Amino acid sequence: MDLIITLIINGLATGMLIFLLAAGLTLIFGLMHVLNFAHGGLFIWGAFTGVWVYQLSGSLLLGIGAAIFTGLVLGLITERLIIRPVYGNTMQQILITLGLMLVLQELIKVVYGPDQVAVAPPEYLDGSFLIGDIVLIKYRLFIIAVGLLVFIVISFILKRTKIGLVVRAGVMNKEMVQALGINIQVVFMLVFMAGAALAALSGILHALYSGVIYAEMGLEFSILAFIVVVIGGMGSFKGSLFAAILVGLAQAFMAYYVPFLSLAVNMLLMVIVLIFRPQGLFRGKE
Amino acid sequence: MRLGNIDKTTWIYLGIALALFIVPFILTGRSAQFIMIQIFIFAIFAMSYDLLLGYTGIISFGHVMFFGIGAYSTAIFMDRLDASIGALVLAVAVAVILAAIVSFIVGMLTLRLKSHFYAMLTLGLAGLFLVVAEKWRPLTGGFDGFTFRVPDLLSTSESLYTLSLISLILIFFGLRRFTNSPFGKVLMTIRENEERTESLGYNVLHYKVIASVVSGVVASFAGVLYMLSLRFVDTSVFATDITIDVLLMTIIGGVGTLVGPILGAGLVELAHHWLSGLSDVHWIFERWIILYGTVYILVVIFFPLGIVGTIRKKMAKRTAVQARSIKK
Repeated sequence: MDLIITLIINGLATGMLIFLLAAGLTLIFGLMHVLNFAHGGLFIWGAFTGVWVYQLSGSLLLGIGAAIFTGLVLGLITERLIIRPVYGNTMQQILITLGLMLVLQELIKVVYGPDQVAVAPPEYLDGSFLIGDIVLIKYRLFIIAVGLLVFIVISFILKRTKIGLVVRAGVMNKEMVQALGINIQVVFMLVFMAGAALAALSGILHALYSGVIYAEMGLEFSILAFIVVVIGGMGSFKGSLFAAILVGLAQAFMAYYVPFLSLAVNMLLMVIVLIFRPQGLFRGKE
Repeated sequence: MRLGNIDKTTWIYLGIALALFIVPFILTGRSAQFIMIQIFIFAIFAMSYDLLLGYTGIISFGHVMFFGIGAYSTAIFMDRLDASIGALVLAVAVAVILAAIVSFIVGMLTLRLKSHFYAMLTLGLAGLFLVVAEKWRPLTGGFDGFTFRVPDLLSTSESLYTLSLISLILIFFGLRRFTNSPFGKVLMTIRENEERTESLGYNVLHYKVIASVVSGVVASFAGVLYMLSLRFVDTSVFATDITIDVLLMTIIGGVGTLVGPILGAGLVELAHHWLSGLSDVHWIFERWIILYGTVYILVVIFFPLGIVGTIRKKMAKRTAVQARSIKK
């Protein structure tokens, strides 16, 4: 029983990390129909910059702030220079964002050096609570809390405020929204920046979780994010939370009980979903 | 077929191909010949990619998995059986069949969906192949890989050069015939407008899956040749870097032209060689991927047709202008 609870907590924490990464991806795709293959690049930039500031200042909050700021700035530059020329052309979008991914990954090595960087969580998040025989690692609980917070805030913004309304209308009919006096280009830019900031946030959180960061991590994790987005349904925000937790739990349990399968379990999940419900779990037929 | 039916461009290509056979007599250095062989092999690989990207409009980020399948089948057969031509033929057969099966399954799974899915699934699957190659140590030698012997007939640099050049020529004309056929025309209509092709009564999925299978098979053959030239295998034959290289070759050379990818393969391979040589001069050249990525992004934005595509468009425009002025 204790073991199962521990595994569930581990799975939830991993799931929340993946969710944070996938959230930015799904936000950008769901609202703007741009599939951002450079998402992993924004993720590592958040990780490296965040860790750098955190290690210099000793404050995790500053580190997270720096990561989010990096995400916002890179998001701004990316949207302006890379994405804007190719709106509406899916093929060019995919090709160009992959190119950006490469450049971002190599630039990390230029700025922060090609080596791995080791990092540990701050003291107040290090260690664990003991309830009976159950070990609750503090940092994992922290990640779960942040993930839930982000989910609630973004769902609230999308559903309850006018911003979500404008963005959704803008994708459906750009000219109409523009005619109503809303600068849709600025709105799209803000959405992209928000998605990039989410990627960077998940980067710094993941850095402290795994304890070590390296430049190639970006591509590895974007594959995970893609899997989640496909399982949950492209562009479905709720779907990506659900799918991320599913993937996290599956990974945690498989790694313990069937280690060999744990490598393939995500792909298997995705293949099953693609066969039986290609539009994803949380999306109506297109 | 009467000779008079062959058009002018075919003669030009044949002439260039014949000229290339003389090159090993001029470039006698082993390393220079090795670079040429690499160019031919990657040209074959890039053409297979062009069939997907340029002709059918399918983006794959895991095309390297077929290359790797070809590479590992060759290496394992050469190592476990013996370094004979018979074993090589068997290896090619296995590589081709495996690649056909994998590309068929991937195609059936994702090609009925939007293009994103194929890109994402192939990226993930190639990653899976890499992990399997790393973990299945008894068969693949894991991360360290292993060396093996190749048939004596193919052990000299000259014979390998001839083999890869002949393969390149045959595959080029084969694919050219394939893309100019009615089947190829349907692929191009799918690229231009999928819904419309479907409403004209074509079974789009059927065409796309066949394109993906042909492409996978050709790519695995490139992997076979690659192994013959390297005589060493490790997990890097499944690395995403190779997919990205081949993507660059196709995009820079010109998508949907077949000649473009060959040209692109030449440029990218030479640049590889030259830039990695420069890393002694300044450390920044070790990070040449930045330069690559930047060039690639600029090409996608400003020259989406690539070198060959842009030239062809200019020539077409000029002949149109000439035709108009003659009319006047």
